[in-house]
Amino acid sequence: MIPIHVNQDFLPDEGYTAYEIDSERNLDLSFRFEKDCDVFIRLVRAKNVRIRMFVNEGVRVGILLWNNSEEKTVMDETYEVMKDADLVVAYGECNNAETKRNTYVALRGNHAHALVSSASLVSVRKDYHIDVVNFAPHTYGDMKNYAVVLKDGTLMIDAVGKIVKGAKRSESHQTSRALCFEDGQKSTILPELLIDENDVQASHAMSIGRMDEDQLYYMMSRGLTLAQCTSLIATGYLMPITDTLPNEELKASLKQEMERKIEELCSM
Amino acid sequence: MKSLVIKDLHVSVEGKEILKGLNLTVNENEVHALMGPNGNGKSTLLAAIMGDPKYEVTGGSIEYDGKNLLEMPVNERSVAGVFLAMQYPQEIPGVTNSDFLRAAINVRRETPISLFSFIKSMEKTINDLQMKEDLAHRFLNEGFSGGEKKRNEIVQMEMLRPSLSMLDEIDSGLDVDALHVVADELNNLRKETGMSVIAVSHYERFYELIQPEFTHVLIDGRIVVSGGPEIAAKIDQEGYDWIYKEYNVQPASKAEEKRPSLSIGACAVRESVKGQTRQ
Repeated sequence: MIPIHVNQDFLPDEGYTAYEIDSERNLDLSFRFEKDCDVFIRLVRAKNVRIRMFVNEGVRVGILLWNNSEEKTVMDETYEVMKDADLVVAYGECNNAETKRNTYVALRGNHAHALVSSASLVSVRKDYHIDVVNFAPHTYGDMKNYAVVLKDGTLMIDAVGKIVKGAKRSESHQTSRALCFEDGQKSTILPELLIDENDVQASHAMSIGRMDEDQLYYMMSRGLTLAQCTSLIATGYLMPITDTLPNEELKASLKQEMERKIEELCSM
Repeated sequence: MKSLVIKDLHVSVEGKEILKGLNLTVNENEVHALMGPNGNGKSTLLAAIMGDPKYEVTGGSIEYDGKNLLEMPVNERSVAGVFLAMQYPQEIPGVTNSDFLRAAINVRRETPISLFSFIKSMEKTINDLQMKEDLAHRFLNEGFSGGEKKRNEIVQMEMLRPSLSMLDEIDSGLDVDALHVVADELNNLRKETGMSVIAVSHYERFYELIQPEFTHVLIDGRIVVSGGPEIAAKIDQEGYDWIYKEYNVQPASKAEEKRPSLSIGACAVRESVKGQTRQ
């Protein structure tokens, strides 16, 4: 694991690399991907983090950004995805601290692909603004945001899929799902599609639901406490996000971290 | 000895009183059949014993093994040994049968069950109930057929080993073969554990398989007749009319029908005026 304490530029090696961000200061980081990579970035501590990522032509990159900070974090990320490149970035936001995130994904070259996904267990305020912009023809952008909102949690997702004029045969898709456990929680999801080109495919799906009382009663009638039910249901709800990651190691990391964190938060 | 003792139980659903002073005692190792026409409180009684929050107990008491069940939340009643095989089991997407059952078993134990013994006992139970092998990895009841859901209730019962099992129309949705499989499992588990059973069913066929020693008939929120298996046999052949006559009771649904009803074409004003002049 490579520790990150100061501003740095990285050129990751082919294969799997793990980083850990731990800094008392604001950080400005950049990653240039020139070979196929899978990257696990664990955020332990940082105030404001700015990350710029460049995915070179034809390169396949998988990124898992696991937030384990105990303090409020402000993230500002840009991803430039070049011709024939393929980017998957997954956020694991199950920590008990506020996050404000701004993600900007630019699909710059023909046949560039990007999938941005997030699994959030919300017990404080989580605020995401995600833009995925198709600048070139035949590009493909997708967003999958799944969240479980617990007591005192506030979720805000502003997801924008944009296809500029001339980006023919491009696709922009997004799915957002939120499950709330108690009354009085606030979840806001704003799915937006801004399309300036005719020959495209675009879609969005969204659902915000409340935990079903009959389901809870059924599970509790077998002896499970409310906390155990919440934990099992939250795990089941968020786990599909692990499948967005292409690399088995990243998948396993997200699954393991999520299970641990969900159990911890739900029993509070 | 673990006994269930219910005294003068009153239960309401959405402000409407369903149980109106019910008394019942079930001792260890006894099998009780609960019969009665639809809508007269059988499911309400079982749900109230289990602790479904939709059912409000407005009077009376339920004790099990000397403990006041009404003061215990649903999950504690389960840990105390009470089990309800539900008439309509819920589907829980995202939660596998095995994760769910392992958590439910572990709340009854001081140290968690080892993965090995859990898998072994789950495999045996699935085999006993002749269910598909992938059951453990499927989401809880999601996409199950009616019969599969009912058999899965019995899988849970066998794994959790309750001391009091309540079966709410477990036989509905089961074909004849599955009915035998379920009854066999129930009888085996009784032999092994001395579990007591309260079974709700409309059919003699199921009672023949599980041999209840006691039969109770629940009409309009009260147990009107209690006796042996001969009552179930008589109801199977003659229906409930003889009970209505002999004990001078009306089923809840009939009692409701006595409300003045207006057919299409009748003049509501005239009907009400007529009513007034008669007074």
